[in-house]
Amino acid sequence: MAIVVRGLGFAYERAPVLTSIDMHAEVGSFTALLGRNGSGKSTLLRLMAGLLDPDAGTIEILGQALCALSPRQRARLIGFLPQQHRPVFPFSVFDVVLTGRAGHAPLNPRREDEAAAHDAIARVGIEALSERPYTELSGGERQMVMLARVLSQRPKLLLLDEPTAHLDLANQARLIGLLRELAGEGMTVVAAVHDPNLAFLHSDAQIMLARGRVVSTGSSRPPWARDVLVEVYGEEPWTLPFGDRSIVLPGPRRPERATPS
Amino acid sequence: MTARARLLWCLPLPLAAASLLIGPSSMAAPGDVLTWLLARLGLAPAFAPEREAIMASVLLDVRLPRVLLSMLVGASLTGSGVALQAVFRNPLVCPYVLGLASGAAFGAALALATGWLPPQVAAFAGGLAAVALAYLLARGRREVSTVSLILSGVIVGGFFTALLTIVQFLSDPFKLQTIVHWTMGNLHAASWSRVRSAALPAAVGLGALFALRFRMNVLALGDEEARAVGLSPERERLLILIPATLAASAAVAVSGVIGLVGLAVPHMARMIVGPENRRLLPAAVALGAAFLLVVDDAARSLFSFELPIGIFTTLLGAPVFVWLIWRARVGWEV
Repeated sequence: MAIVVRGLGFAYERAPVLTSIDMHAEVGSFTALLGRNGSGKSTLLRLMAGLLDPDAGTIEILGQALCALSPRQRARLIGFLPQQHRPVFPFSVFDVVLTGRAGHAPLNPRREDEAAAHDAIARVGIEALSERPYTELSGGERQMVMLARVLSQRPKLLLLDEPTAHLDLANQARLIGLLRELAGEGMTVVAAVHDPNLAFLHSDAQIMLARGRVVSTGSSRPPWARDVLVEVYGEEPWTLPFGDRSIVLPGPRRPERATPS
Repeated sequence: MTARARLLWCLPLPLAAASLLIGPSSMAAPGDVLTWLLARLGLAPAFAPEREAIMASVLLDVRLPRVLLSMLVGASLTGSGVALQAVFRNPLVCPYVLGLASGAAFGAALALATGWLPPQVAAFAGGLAAVALAYLLARGRREVSTVSLILSGVIVGGFFTALLTIVQFLSDPFKLQTIVHWTMGNLHAASWSRVRSAALPAAVGLGALFALRFRMNVLALGDEEARAVGLSPERERLLILIPATLAASAAVAVSGVIGLVGLAVPHMARMIVGPENRRLLPAAVALGAAFLLVVDDAARSLFSFELPIGIFTTLLGAPVFVWLIWRARVGWEV
């Protein structure tokens, strides 16, 4: 198992965010975290990244207790992509990606650190941006740069908070393709996503959160089941069958317009 | 290293040589200095012994320590400014804006007035106290915003300036004159003993900053981003703030408050070599040394009397600060 979470609880100043969370992810799998805004997805990712300390429960990463790892050990195992990033100084894209190596480099980056940064930039396919100032990029381009920064850490575990949020359709497809590829190479990927279809179609496992609790891990009933969707999103879902699964459409159901062929 | 960076590195040397030619002494005009040099090398007839003694004293005991001191002070204030801007993720701070310079000045003045501690040590303690206060005041509950840090720097600077005034008020007239002159930001009293007292803390401070310059890039991206790649932002910030304060206080202890050098010069260097701190820090330090040399040359030769250099740098730096605020479009909500 790449991640095992048991009885995890967390509160921000006594307002509970997560309550007795149990979940796990297998090595080389792509797990999607789903839930409404404020359901605790980001907090769960931050806890798994070691950026927050849990109030209760344990997290194991590849058989080791997360709290026993030093910050540098953690950075070599776990890569975390935050939701959005506000830059101050116009560093070049390459220099931003290179900071991902801080946990590997002694004080200053060595040749191998620069090579890792170049590899990560090539992997994400943003070589053309490499010398551009980060501050002049669009939100979506920044997202790809931060992804390259995380990959330059060469982590075993990739945690992403809404990685597709600022991306256009083509870049979403590229990103999902890349995540699948990385999972195929043995990296464990956990991503919080807003689009349930993206999760249903492309991820290996789906963990549905509502009000800080796990509603479904997809093992007993499919995550696109009506009752699960109602519990997670609080709305009667409009689902259409799609192969062996379902897809969910946003907005109120309008049967007179729906003409599935 | 790019050609531009190399040029910056070489800049202080010819300027230092040229600065040795400048000064109010009519006995040591540029022509005299050159002939004296040739004479020393055996290429020109030797000077008369009295003339020789005066020349040696003007050049080696007055001008040379002054040139070295202005380079040391310029380099220290600029290196400190680059580091402060990176760790606070704030392009608008420097030792002066943060109140660090006022804290160090109060410490040094107290040491001058009472003799309890060596001025260098007291300046460092005062500077450290000021930075800690400014940061804690600005931090509140969440991340430190650009404007709140500047505001708390203003408050802290004012607080320590008030303490400094108390020290002046209670000092006897003889000491008072020394303290007031020194607080205005002055390289007038440069001497070998001042060069010696500032050299060690400045070298240690700048050396540590040089070693940590990649970490400045990591911190400049944000606390959570630093934590995610395996650094503890609190620890790194402290590791960088201590040498940054050491270098700036060393400068303040020997030359008083020379304002806004640490703000203006890093931005000039950014225009030349870019914002990346591994390239920026050494380039900015070299530019700072060159910059203060030139400003000091102007301060001591433009008028028949010598203006305190702090007045010059603040007059030059203020428009830069305004331009930066305007360009960053800093609003009160930021």
